[in-house]
Amino acid sequence: MTVTAPPARGAITAGEPIRLTSVNKTYTTATGPLPVLQDIDLHIETGEFVSLVGPSGCGKSTLLKIIAGLIPFDNGTVHVGEQAPKEGRRDVGFMLQQSVLMPWLSVRENVTLPFAIAREKGSHIAPRVEELLELVGLSHSADMNSWELSGGMQQRVALARTLALDPRVLLMDEPFAALDEFKREHLGLEVTKMHEDMGKTSILVTHSIPEAVMMSDRIIALGARPGRVVGDIRVDLPRPRSAAMIATPEFQDISRQVREALAGEDGSIS
Amino acid sequence: MTTIQTPPQPAVVRAETVPHTKPKDPLLSRTWVKVGLPLLVLALGVGAWEVASQTGLVNPITVPPASDTFAAMIDLSTKDYFWHAAWITLQETLLGFLIGSTLGLVLGALTGTFAVFRTALWPFIVAIQNTPRVALAPVFLTWFGFGMTSKVVMAAVICFFPVVINTVAGLSSVDANARMLFRTYGATTSQTFFRLTLPTAAPVTFAGIKTALTLALLGAIVGEFVGASEGLGVLVNEFNFQLEVAMGFAVVVYLAVIGLILYALIEWLERRLITWSN
Ligand SMILES: Nc1ncnc2c1ncn2[C@@H]1O[C@H](COP(=O)(O)OP(=O)(O)OP(=O)(O)O)[C@@H](O)[C@H]1O
Ligand SMILES: [Mg+2]
Repeated sequence: MTVTAPPARGAITAGEPIRLTSVNKTYTTATGPLPVLQDIDLHIETGEFVSLVGPSGCGKSTLLKIIAGLIPFDNGTVHVGEQAPKEGRRDVGFMLQQSVLMPWLSVRENVTLPFAIAREKGSHIAPRVEELLELVGLSHSADMNSWELSGGMQQRVALARTLALDPRVLLMDEPFAALDEFKREHLGLEVTKMHEDMGKTSILVTHSIPEAVMMSDRIIALGARPGRVVGDIRVDLPRPRSAAMIATPEFQDISRQVREALAGEDGSIS
Repeated sequence: MTTIQTPPQPAVVRAETVPHTKPKDPLLSRTWVKVGLPLLVLALGVGAWEVASQTGLVNPITVPPASDTFAAMIDLSTKDYFWHAAWITLQETLLGFLIGSTLGLVLGALTGTFAVFRTALWPFIVAIQNTPRVALAPVFLTWFGFGMTSKVVMAAVICFFPVVINTVAGLSSVDANARMLFRTYGATTSQTFFRLTLPTAAPVTFAGIKTALTLALLGAIVGEFVGASEGLGVLVNEFNFQLEVAMGFAVVVYLAVIGLILYALIEWLERRLITWSN
């Protein structure tokens, strides 16, 4: 591995472990308290890729927002690396289902936005942005308006933006859900490859079991609200992963385990 | 996503110059057809007007032929009093527009940014928006007299509200996910405002400003109708009293030209400032 700064493709910024102990979360709503997460214990190792699956409304997004420090939790402890979660942490990147690009900025400017918000200046930013654009395959579209892009390209820009500040922890809330099946698989494989290159600690929320199996080292199944851990399934498929693995008995067996863990939890999962 | 408060709808939909229908006929996308067809309609309309008036189908005293109106326009363009009147009306319009839309932006920004203002003021803004504000013209005449002030005030009052309403609508149209994104980057309040809220609001706000300019001219003319000694509205009134209808028509055509020029200028400004589509 080359040791150069700033970190380039292939260079590794080590991840950080994530530890949740007995985390509970209850929303206060107009109709009274709504318990959403119950006694969540979750230990994610440095560089591990974990998928969260579970029926709609079981609290997956809530859990991710807690880890990102966007919302408070009721009791228990959460550590991302050595620290408690806090919004605006540079070492945590968050990617949403919607690409949320700024239509008044070009593709390149959208990817530069995190540097601008972090008030980071310097000659290293421009090459870094080009590198990110190349990483997501958008070098040739850098000067396009973001609203001219297809949904898949927009999500690529969002991915590049999420990676801009080189976070150690990557939180992804259904980042491919708005894409069609083909683009979804394609981008999923690319993110898998990126993960294999970069080794960031990653949490992916998804409704797709094949996607979870394909990408993860471990799959956490949450039960219907209030969400609790009902399954913790290790994915022992070799890396690098490839689309060809889907047909293997091992892949099918892991998918079945996830399905069984979720059986009886209402809500649908594809 | 659940929003805590339903954002007020923009009062003014972005009025595009040409409605967006896909031209099915490739001929309709040709430039000469796009220019020629409206011109043909204009020629037919003016021709029908000319014939109807010349043949006595309509009373030529009350509806003078197009040719007379055109002659009157030429005549007017040589008269100093016409240019003076046009200058007065233009000043009233632009001053009223500047004052009204600036105040509208300020109140809109306060109302759109701070919930206290929204809760306290929104019912009144809606109430006044739905009041025919031109009815205030006589009141302003009493307060501010026959001079320009009462017209400037009328123009300002009439164009104030679309700006307020569209500014509020624009400011509340910021996507919850975008806000969350800015939070994940630890953006400060002012960063979020300048890098997210303001650009998001700009197109909707500008649509309100465009409407305001059109309304400002309307306000100035109404003000002049109610009572004034100078201005194009006064000229229209006087020519009609003297049964110089062709001259009256000619002034109205010039008013249309002024309105179109103002609209073209503000469109140009919009295209400079807002280069993206949401
Ligand atoms: N800010 C909030 N206030 C009150 N209730 C909320 C809030 N956010 C989410 N909820 C509720 O908490 C529950 C869990 O929401 P969450 O978004 O975490 O579910 P999810 O597992 O991500 O679902 P999905 O798979 O549909 O995205 C839902 O019932 C939701 O209605
Ligand atoms: Mg969710």
